[in-house]
Amino acid sequence: MNDALNASGHPKGAYVFQLYLAGGAPNSVRALANLYAICRKHFPESHRIEVIDVLKEPLRALAAAIFVTPTVVKISPAPEQQIIGNLSEEQEVLRALGLPQKESE
Amino acid sequence: MSDKKRIAVMEKISTGIEGFDDITGGGLPLGRTTLLMGGPGCGKTVLALNILVGAAMRHGTPGIFVAFEENARRVSANAEAFGWDMRELKKKQIFFIDACLRSDVIKSGSFDLSGLLAVIESKSAEMGAKLIVFDAIDVLLSLLNDPAAECRELYRLYEWLINHDLTGILTTKVEDSKPATAQRYGFMPFMADCALLLTQRVTDRVAVRGMRVLKYRGSAHMLNEVPFMIGPSGVEVGSSNGVHPEPQPFEEKLSTGVEGLDAMLSGGIYRGTNLLITGSSGGGKTTLAGAFIEAACRRGERALFISFDENSRDIVRDLAAMSIRLAKHLAGGLLRMEAIRTEAGSSEEHFMRIKRFIAEHRPRVVAIDPLSALARVGGGLAARAVAERLIYLCRNAGITVLFTSLLEGIDPNLETTTLHVSTISDSWIQISYALLDGERNRALSIIKSRGSMHATQMRELIFNDTGITLAEPYAAGGTVLMGALRMEKENSLRMVTGLPRLDGAPRDGAKPAAVRAKKQGKLQ
Repeated sequence: MNDALNASGHPKGAYVFQLYLAGGAPNSVRALANLYAICRKHFPESHRIEVIDVLKEPLRALAAAIFVTPTVVKISPAPEQQIIGNLSEEQEVLRALGLPQKESE
Repeated sequence: MSDKKRIAVMEKISTGIEGFDDITGGGLPLGRTTLLMGGPGCGKTVLALNILVGAAMRHGTPGIFVAFEENARRVSANAEAFGWDMRELKKKQIFFIDACLRSDVIKSGSFDLSGLLAVIESKSAEMGAKLIVFDAIDVLLSLLNDPAAECRELYRLYEWLINHDLTGILTTKVEDSKPATAQRYGFMPFMADCALLLTQRVTDRVAVRGMRVLKYRGSAHMLNEVPFMIGPSGVEVGSSNGVHPEPQPFEEKLSTGVEGLDAMLSGGIYRGTNLLITGSSGGGKTTLAGAFIEAACRRGERALFISFDENSRDIVRDLAAMSIRLAKHLAGGLLRMEAIRTEAGSSEEHFMRIKRFIAEHRPRVVAIDPLSALARVGGGLAARAVAERLIYLCRNAGITVLFTSLLEGIDPNLETTTLHVSTISDSWIQISYALLDGERNRALSIIKSRGSMHATQMRELIFNDTGITLAEPYAAGGTVLMGALRMEKENSLRMVTGLPRLDGAPRDGAKPAAVRAKKQGKLQ
C-alpha cells in the first residue's frame, strides 16, 4: 500500500487542516507543535492550518460534531480524515494522511 | 450552592420512576454524579434516558444526553417507542450530543475531554441544563489505552460536574464475571456519589433484570437487589420497599356472585380482602371468578379480570354459556380483561404488568386466574414473593381480589397450593371432585374465611345454562350425598312420603341403601 502511494509526488494542491484544540491544555499545545512539525517536514510549501479553539468557539465544534480535543481534520486533499490525539505517534499520522511511513521506528 | 449547604441537606432529584425513587430513598443526588454500571443489554441507556426524560417532563428540568456508543438519533428514536414525545422535548428540554467517533478516525497520541466539556458547558448555559447523561463514556476513554490517562479524564469530568453544579449520570459497561471493583473502571464507584449495578440473570430459562444500589453517599438506600423491567412506557422498578399506611378495614361484605356461596360465607367476603379458590383442572375456578367479576360489574364497580394463558374472548364465550355475561360490561368499559401468556416473561414482569393494569384501570375488584401460573416462570421463591406482593398491593389499595390456584398432583384433594399462598389468603374455597359410583361431581368446601362464620359442610357445585348453584347439603348416613346418589336417596324418601320422584321415572329404592352401606364401610 505504501509503495503504491509512494513519494515522487504527493498531490501538488495544498494540504488543508483544521485543528480543534482546547486552549492551552497540554495535549492541545503538543498537537499544535506536532502538526506544524509534520507539515514542515512533509509538505513544507503547500499546507494551511486553521486552528479552532473549542473553548472560544464551542458551537463551531458542536456543528462539526468534534468533541475530542485535540482533533485534526484533513480537509484537503479529499477524502476528509479525522485524527484524534496529540499527534505524538507520527507513524499513525502519516498512515492517516496516506503518506509513506518509515520502515523502522 | 455552597459546600456547607450540600453537607447539611442532601437534595435529590425525583426520577418519577416509582420503584427507583423507593430504592434510592427519593431519587438521584442533586449536583452530584451517579454511576450506572452493567453488562451489555442491561438497560443502562434506557434507564439514563428515562431519568432525563422524567426530569424534563415532570419538573421541566432541561438536560443533555451525550451518546458515546449508540448514535444519538437512534437513542432518541428508541425513546419514542416508550411513548415519550422526543420531538417536543428536543425543542427545549433535551439536547442530544452525538459524541460517537466516526469509524474511520485514527488515533495518534493522548487526548482529553476539555473540548467536549467546553461544548457541553456552552450548551448547558444556553438551555439551563441541570442534568447531563454521559452514556457509555468508557467507549471513548478506552481508546486512550492508558489507565492513568483514563482515570485522569474521569476525574476531570467528575470535577467539572461538581464545579458547574450539574447532576451527572455516567453509564459504563462491566463484565459479568468480575466484581464491580475489579473492572477496568473499578475506581469509578469510589469516585461517584451514587452507584448502581444493573444485571440480567437467567433463572429457569427466564431472564430477570435486577438493579442494586452499590453506594449512595450521605443517604439511606435499599441494599437488596430489586427486579426491574423495561416496559412499554419505560423502566419500572419492582420495589417492595414501600411502606404503605395500613388500610382501614371495610365492614362491607361483597357478594361472590353465587347466592348459595354467599350464604355459606354469611353474606360474602369483606371488601378489601382476598379469596383464594383452589381446585384441579376443570373444577370451575374460572367460572366462579367470572361470577364474582360479573357481580361487581352489576354493582357498577370497575373490575379487572386477568387470565393466564387463556384468551379473554374464550372466557367471555364460555361463561356466557352459564349465564355469566361479561360482554356488555367489557364493552361498557367497566370491565377490563387482560390475557397474559405465562411464558412471555418472568413472574416479576407479570407482576409489574398487572400492577400497571391496576393503575390504569383503577378497579375495585380484581380476579387473577390462575395465580399459580406465576410459579411456572421465575423460580418458586421469586414467584411466591411476587404472589405475596400482588396480594399486598391489592390489600393496600382496598381492592377485593379473587385469585385461583391450580392444584396439580396425584392427590387432587391435597390442600396445598403451588405458591403456598393459602396462608396469606383471607378466605379459601376448595373445589374438589367427589368420585362416587361412576360419577364425578364437583364439591365445594370453605376451608377458611377470616372474620366471619362459614359453613363447614361440603356442597355440590352445579353448573348449568342458568348459572351456578350450590345444592343444599344433603346428608345421609354421616356423609354428604351428591349427584345421582343424592337423587336416588331423595327419591327413595319421597316414595316413602308419597311425593313424586324427582326424575319422574319409576324405580326401586334399593340402590341408595346399598350404596350407603358401601359408603359407610368405606368410612370405617
